[in-house]
Amino acid sequence: MVDALEEIHRVLAPRGILVDARPDSRVPTLAELRKQRSFQRYGLIGTHKLELTMDRSSDLAIAEVVRNGLFRRRRAGRFFYRVPFETLADLREYLWEHGRFMRRVKWVVDAKTRRLHANEPFAMRRGVRFEILERLSRDQR
Amino acid sequence: MSRATPPIADVGRRIDGRVRALSSALRPQPLEELREWGGARLVRGKRVLDLGCGDGRFALGVAPYAASVEGLDPDTQAIATARKLARESGVRNVHFAAGAAQQLPYPGAAFDVVVLSWTL
Repeated sequence: MVDALEEIHRVLAPRGILVDARPDSRVPTLAELRKQRSFQRYGLIGTHKLELTMDRSSDLAIAEVVRNGLFRRRRAGRFFYRVPFETLADLREYLWEHGRFMRRVKWVVDAKTRRLHANEPFAMRRGVRFEILERLSRDQR
Repeated sequence: MSRATPPIADVGRRIDGRVRALSSALRPQPLEELREWGGARLVRGKRVLDLGCGDGRFALGVAPYAASVEGLDPDTQAIATARKLARESGVRNVHFAAGAAQQLPYPGAAFDVVVLSWTL
């Protein structure tokens, strides 16, 4: 990852901007029931251990190029967005296919309630983190 | 319950008959992401490189604001899809190429902005 970031430093103009955006595994992903005007939390979706390790590696790579004076951190933030699903079964199918998430949801509502609303629209609320970095030249380090 | 827009998961279904877990259609909209990062001024009139561009979702989304956009991805199939989408949408300032981030096929100082959207 560091070698890719060094290549990015090479192709960026002086004071050029690098945007690093990726799913935020530090905040829980939520399974929600979509209601008329709101969302009800139904469960917490964990991130797979391997993905957590990869996220950590990405963090370390960014930290290294900042430490080496290639980039300067300018701004960071987090936002959330929702992935809609027709039914609870669709959401589960998505989790089954998606390597990033644990397939088993940690439910916060009982099984009876889930069955009752299983055919209603659901959503998955995900966090996305981003960081804006500025390319530093040799004389800026 | 009425919904103004079709569920994003349906977009995936229409593509190959099932939910495409890794489909970029399940990610935030490019302009939504851009807004969170500080708005269109981040790329307005700039030379942008979308590294790990996949099917060109983000590159095509920001093309109207940027001077030029290059999309690079090691997945040749995704690049073919991105080129097809670019042709269909008539966008002229976007180019896609297959390649690896560790050896970028561009000269030094060629870009003002490099985006790693769900890539690193």
